[in-house]
Amino acid sequence: MSRSVAIIGTGPAGCYLAQALLKAEPELAVDLIDRLPVPYGLVRYGVAPDHQGTKAVTRQFERLFERQGARFFGNVTVDAPLLAVLREAYDAVVLAAGLSSDRRLGIPGEDLDGVIRAGELTRALYDHPDAARLPKLGRRVVLMGNGNVAIDLLRLLAKTPEELAGSDLGPEASEWLARSPVEEITIVGRSPAAAARFDAVMVKELAKLSGVTVNVVDPGTSDEPEGMKKIDALASLAATQGGPKRIAFRFSLTPVAVEGERGHVAAVRFRDGAGAERIVPCDTFLTAIGFEAGADALRRDRLLGEAFDPEAGILAQGLYAAGWFRRGPRGTIPENRTDAQGLAARILADFGNMPQAGSKAGRAVFAGRPAIVTYAGWQCIDAAECAAAQPNRCRRKIASRAEMLQLAVRIEEPQA
Amino acid sequence: MNITILYGTETGNAEMLAEDIAGELEAEHEVSVANLSDFDPAGFDQGRFYLMVCSTYGDGELPGSAQPFAKAMEASDAKLAGVHFAVFGLGDSEYDETFNGGSKRLAELMLTHGAVQIGERVIHDASGSDLAEDLAFPWASEMVSLASERLEEAV
Ligand SMILES: Cc1cc2nc3c(=O)[nH]c(=O)nc-3n(C[C@H](O)[C@H](O)[C@H](O)COP(=O)(O)OP(=O)(O)OC[C@H]3O[C@@H](n4cnc5c(N)ncnc54)[C@H](O)[C@@H]3O)c2cc1C
Ligand SMILES: Cc1cc2nc3c(=O)[nH]c(=O)nc-3n(C[C@H](O)[C@H](O)[C@H](O)COP(=O)(O)O)c2cc1C
Repeated sequence: MSRSVAIIGTGPAGCYLAQALLKAEPELAVDLIDRLPVPYGLVRYGVAPDHQGTKAVTRQFERLFERQGARFFGNVTVDAPLLAVLREAYDAVVLAAGLSSDRRLGIPGEDLDGVIRAGELTRALYDHPDAARLPKLGRRVVLMGNGNVAIDLLRLLAKTPEELAGSDLGPEASEWLARSPVEEITIVGRSPAAAARFDAVMVKELAKLSGVTVNVVDPGTSDEPEGMKKIDALASLAATQGGPKRIAFRFSLTPVAVEGERGHVAAVRFRDGAGAERIVPCDTFLTAIGFEAGADALRRDRLLGEAFDPEAGILAQGLYAAGWFRRGPRGTIPENRTDAQGLAARILADFGNMPQAGSKAGRAVFAGRPAIVTYAGWQCIDAAECAAAQPNRCRRKIASRAEMLQLAVRIEEPQA
Repeated sequence: MNITILYGTETGNAEMLAEDIAGELEAEHEVSVANLSDFDPAGFDQGRFYLMVCSTYGDGELPGSAQPFAKAMEASDAKLAGVHFAVFGLGDSEYDETFNGGSKRLAELMLTHGAVQIGERVIHDASGSDLAEDLAFPWASEMVSLASERLEEAV
């Protein structure tokens, strides 16, 4: 009997892990479980709609299900009790469930109207089934954060409708952006420019925007080549002038409080590097400062706290962690790949050292569970989305879970 | 013919393509596939034909798995005269200034050591409408037939 592995989460961490496991041992039974009816995690719901090239890694992941024998169990939320069931049923269980709650700044005024968080906003923009409605934007936006997510949001808010051609941004979000009242975006980093988290290419890409005028305030200098890359990228925006939307980059500002008027954001108060107070008036405060586990059905903090070897992703006997769930909200798609290859080797080594414990139930534990979406079910959703694409779009995502399930769920006889 | 397909990748697309190309050529040739990260430049063999498949990352740079190879090549004065290779690049025209810089760099590294390039470098654009394999399969078979003439002449 071949060994069985259940991977919870079908983002890059889970999919690359399945890939590495099946490459080394094609006979393994690898099952990928996701709380959503659709696979691929943040490749679908985080990677920007105008970066379709980056999303093309899903062609590799499709292979898992189409040729390599992996199975998809969509629309299954794993909580602590189900996790215990899976640990009984599989030789190894891997938590690759990501991190989806927005981190908070922990400063006064954070709950005023007009404060918007990046995770919430990207889910709404990208038609995530659990998203809230698109929020109301004002004319003057302060965007806190200097990671790639902040740059994605800056770019989307700044693009003209024509510049979104070829993307998979949905009609509602497209309309929302086209009608947005935004006139000015001040993007603020806590660190100096040289230590900003963003990749230099992400900033260089902004030089192509036709509708903006960019002003970079005090980027400073650096002794490090990595730092200079970022500063040079910012300098490459000097010629990005003449468009109606004004973008200002400001650095080394620590947020202290969000100021309100009648319950709505009116300004953000910062402290600069020299300790002086800086007030930036605004009517929308958008934060893109990272993610955390939030209200978490899997009790991540406890699992990681009690882990055998958290660095290697080994939580307990037969229980592993990968991707953002293990490392925290840092690192891009390639890092999950490298990580997954290391973890796959570790899991296979552990199998080698474990006696074959008789045959486990494996995927039979899902038999009779209602409304599971199989890979074939996802293919129905995928085909419907591609067929519904509007002009200048490559896909029209279905945002409603009910509608997804209607397309995808086949009532299958429980397997013997 | 004896063929080695070497790939340089960051997110795995070039690896998948390299394996697919091997699948296409296997019926008629002896084919092996290796990651550039596992390949020692001292191991080039004049009797084999090298198909190199490589993406671009960062800002027009070589992808992670090709970096150690590039370092080793830069540090080495190995003469690759008589080693025949062809290059297929993966990139994205969204990065217009640095489009396919990685595969270009890889070809240059081979040429500076005296290796012989077969055909032109063909590139795939992740933002274009072609699937990589639809460009790469015809490329591979054409390169292989060009190379077989050359390698026979050399013997
Ligand atoms: C807005 C945004 C944009 C990004 N853009 C890029 C980019 O352009 N390029 C790049 O390289 N990286 C980008 N990243 C980073 C990249 O998305 C991450 O490195 C990567 O997705 C992490 O992979 P993961 O598999 O750990 O998590 P995720 O991709 O989040 O996948 C986790 C999966 O687990 C599922 N899940 C969660 N809880 C449960 C549960 N209890 N039961 C069952 N399933 C569950 C989720 O539904 C999800 O499908 C971006 C990140 C964000 C947030
Ligand atoms: C962060 C990032 C940077 C990239 N930089 C470039 C670039 O400078 N030039 C280019 O042609 N392609 C670039 N690409 C596109 C990749 O080369 C392309 O997606 C390719 O298919 C990746 O193949 P791989 O998975 O084998 O690495 C970049 C992609 C990403 C995500």
